[in-house]
Amino acid sequence: MSQEHIAIFMFSSMMLMLFTGQRVFGAIGAIAAIAALALWGTGGPDIPFSAAMKLMKWYPLLTLPMFIFMGYVLSESRLADDLYRMFHVWFGNVSGGLAMGTIGLMVLISAMNGLSVAGMAIGATIALPELLRRGYDKIMVTGVIQAGSSLGILVPPSVVLVLYAMIARQPVGQLWLAGVVPGLMMAALFILYIWIRCRLNPALGPVAEDAGDVTRAEKIRLLGAGALPLIIFAVMMVPFVRGWTSLVESSAIGALAALAASVLKRRMTWALLHRCVKQTLAISCMFMWIILAALGFGAVFDGLGAVRAIESLFTEQLGLSPWVILILMQLSFIVMGTFLDDTAMLVIVAPLYVPLVGSLGFDLIWYGVLYTITTQIAYMTPPFGYNLFLMRAMAPPEIRLRDIYASIVPFVGVMVIALAIIMAFPQIALWLPQLVYGN
Amino acid sequence: QGKITWRMQTYAGAALAEHVLDPAIKMFNTIAGDRMNIELYYADQLVPTGELFRALQRGTIDAVQSDDDSMASPTDVTVFGGYFPFASRYSLDVPVLFNQYGLNEIWDEEYSAVGVKHISAGAWDPCHFATKDPINSLEDLKGKRVFTFPTAGRFMSQFGVVPVTLPWEDIEVAVQTGELDGIAWSGITEDYTVGWADVTNYFLTNNISGAWAGSFFANMDRWNELPEDLQTLFRVCCDQSHYYRQWWYWGGEASLRVNGDKMKLTTIPDAEWQQVEDAALTFWEEIAAESPVKAKVVEILRKYNDDMKKAGRPYRYS
Amino acid sequence: MRLLRAYANAIDRISKLIGLVTMYGLFAMIGVLLWSSVSKAFFLPSIWTLEMAQFLMVGYFMLGGPYAILTGANVRMDLFYGDWSARRKAAVDCVTVMFLIFYLGVLLYGALGSTAYSLGYWGDQPLRFFAGLVTGAEEIGRLENSPTAWKPVIWPIKAVMILGIFLMLLQALSELAKDILLLGGDKTLEADK
Ligand code: NA
Ligand code: NA
Repeated sequence: MSQEHIAIFMFSSMMLMLFTGQRVFGAIGAIAAIAALALWGTGGPDIPFSAAMKLMKWYPLLTLPMFIFMGYVLSESRLADDLYRMFHVWFGNVSGGLAMGTIGLMVLISAMNGLSVAGMAIGATIALPELLRRGYDKIMVTGVIQAGSSLGILVPPSVVLVLYAMIARQPVGQLWLAGVVPGLMMAALFILYIWIRCRLNPALGPVAEDAGDVTRAEKIRLLGAGALPLIIFAVMMVPFVRGWTSLVESSAIGALAALAASVLKRRMTWALLHRCVKQTLAISCMFMWIILAALGFGAVFDGLGAVRAIESLFTEQLGLSPWVILILMQLSFIVMGTFLDDTAMLVIVAPLYVPLVGSLGFDLIWYGVLYTITTQIAYMTPPFGYNLFLMRAMAPPEIRLRDIYASIVPFVGVMVIALAIIMAFPQIALWLPQLVYGN
Repeated sequence: QGKITWRMQTYAGAALAEHVLDPAIKMFNTIAGDRMNIELYYADQLVPTGELFRALQRGTIDAVQSDDDSMASPTDVTVFGGYFPFASRYSLDVPVLFNQYGLNEIWDEEYSAVGVKHISAGAWDPCHFATKDPINSLEDLKGKRVFTFPTAGRFMSQFGVVPVTLPWEDIEVAVQTGELDGIAWSGITEDYTVGWADVTNYFLTNNISGAWAGSFFANMDRWNELPEDLQTLFRVCCDQSHYYRQWWYWGGEASLRVNGDKMKLTTIPDAEWQQVEDAALTFWEEIAAESPVKAKVVEILRKYNDDMKKAGRPYRYS
Repeated sequence: MRLLRAYANAIDRISKLIGLVTMYGLFAMIGVLLWSSVSKAFFLPSIWTLEMAQFLMVGYFMLGGPYAILTGANVRMDLFYGDWSARRKAAVDCVTVMFLIFYLGVLLYGALGSTAYSLGYWGDQPLRFFAGLVTGAEEIGRLENSPTAWKPVIWPIKAVMILGIFLMLLQALSELAKDILLLGGDKTLEADK
């Protein structure tokens, strides 16, 4: 087989396997193992396991269980309840205000965990029922929660950016900071979108009559709730950005800070802790096994020359300009993201793309932000999307699958606009890391 | 008969391999034409560096460029690969030790015993510290978390250095994210070439070894299957790579000390540094006590360094 | 059928038990990382913390893996799968789980070879080596050390990986057993599908 054929064979059989509905890691791992046995030659069968040793040396992966645990502590112990009340009383008396407040809530939650699960859980259990009860449009609010929670991977800390950092060999600190302004910008765009929709059709987001009932003192007191996420964020980020603690150490500190906060607020029980610990294991294992399988796939793919084939296709044979290549890559990420797990996509595809992006002269920190936004889109687009799954599992019965699919359309649109803006103006991403790390 | 293809992995990252290996392999492929092609892979690309030896022995990888220490070869000569403290002062010492003082034979025997072909050894650069904070005395080394070679790290830990081993490609970032305070893995040429000079501020001019020693290896069966002329061609290209590194580093070290503007030079005074040199002699004794083969190598190192001292200038100035 | 049920029950129970212990390994990781930052701030940084944490991480996801399968935590692409009936899912899984089993088998093979190597065996018949260890026909040779200055022996973590992958394999077989039972008419299993 020629290298091109190997590339096509491996990729398409992986796709085929995925469509059978077998576990993602099994599908990817099996194709890697088959190719290793059939095509590598002597010693090929050792490759899938040697990926495990490679994974072991990827020390930033240690942050994964930490950030996942943080998220579960946050959602399970209902630490966000006060936060939610805060946004409720402050924004409730505007048309669409509760929905906009929910975006604000999601931003703060995003600052306290590295994934979107926590945001989804909090959004679907606290915010969603409340919004529905107030007569908000179900399609719009379903979208609000999926889109808002996806900010969890753009606003630091971010697991996706940690994984990207490992593949692209870029500093996590800078990547995280690069996500801040784009994250806030995207949140602002979401809010703008909600505001416009509700201006045009106030029935989508009725004013909450009772929001004004709260006393002024109570309103001020609730503002204090907003301090908690900021404190947890600071406890973790400041020592890290200052260089006192390393990345993995900071993640452990973050996990403890969240735990401590829940204990201090008397929200933690042994049963709850057990549930957090259990879910952390399940999600961490899901991630790690996908990474393990994808690393094996990547090594076999590379060792069989498929990587070279794809590289030469992009750079030599097609003869495209750098920007066209970049846009094609983003498009292919978006397309793959509809049906592929983002981690598998990252581990398998990014090693092909990232060196190319670098050699075309683009900034890899900036590209990390672009990649993360495509991942956010991937989380929401059917058929395969984590936020879709979670929404389906947690949404109240009146929200049907059709609603969930319909709900994401405008928000994906907003994300694509954000993507375009950041592509056109890289400084939106790069300004903050350059300011802090000064170069 | 079809074209022979080999997979070769170097323990160096791509940025470095551009100098230390790529030219030689390109040359090999050009000359070998339709008969043979070597596909080159870089640090941890197919298998992690710690697994390189096993992969080579099994035939997962056909050929390897690495020092013995980094790839954790299961031989008695492993500690002498990479930077064995103060074993050599100049990069020419390494080929002399191997070709004229009998190390080639010992290596050949050790690797044959574990089923791997040792092709040839050569020198790279000296081992210096590149750090975020300045080092002006031994005291400054205390508590520094430094990326370095296993044996060099073991030696330097008596001075409070905390040796860390990470994948090569992660080093630059690890310095930035605080996992590392510095690097003791190379001379200044590499610091500039691979980007470490951008994340560290100081270069210590004292070194703990004048030249890295490492080798080209091949899977025994793959090697034996090669026709003799291709074996010869491979050896010649390895030598070409050794030669390139001789001048590239030698010139680079001097030029960047004088003209480089990314790192400030600092020095630990000779009298104080003498403690480290003395400690090395004790360390040699410890190693020699571990096995007869190690004792033999240490004996050769002693003899060689003695001869050089006796030969006087320009071989040794003290 | 009885046998299948007994097998699935036994394996599920083992996976659950091991999962329950493993999940608290999270705090061991947190502890090691915390010690790492404390020792750096107040004493000499420790030489072993990062590697130790890496070992714990590998143990965590290898030994936790079977539990993740048991609880259905591993995601699937459900474009078609999601709409199928429980029976249909079980039928397809019966076939495709073979791929998963194959993958785990290759992983296990690699793990055995690598572990035998870490115990000083350089041949390519690790099973014969392990059998020989038991009968006394083979001996432990040169132990593999991690190529770091701390240089811990590496076989313990590799042995943990063998155990983890082996349990994964047993769990995958248990899933297969349950699918067969479901197809054989066991309605209680349909709810989980
Ligand atoms: Na986040
Ligand atoms: Na998707």
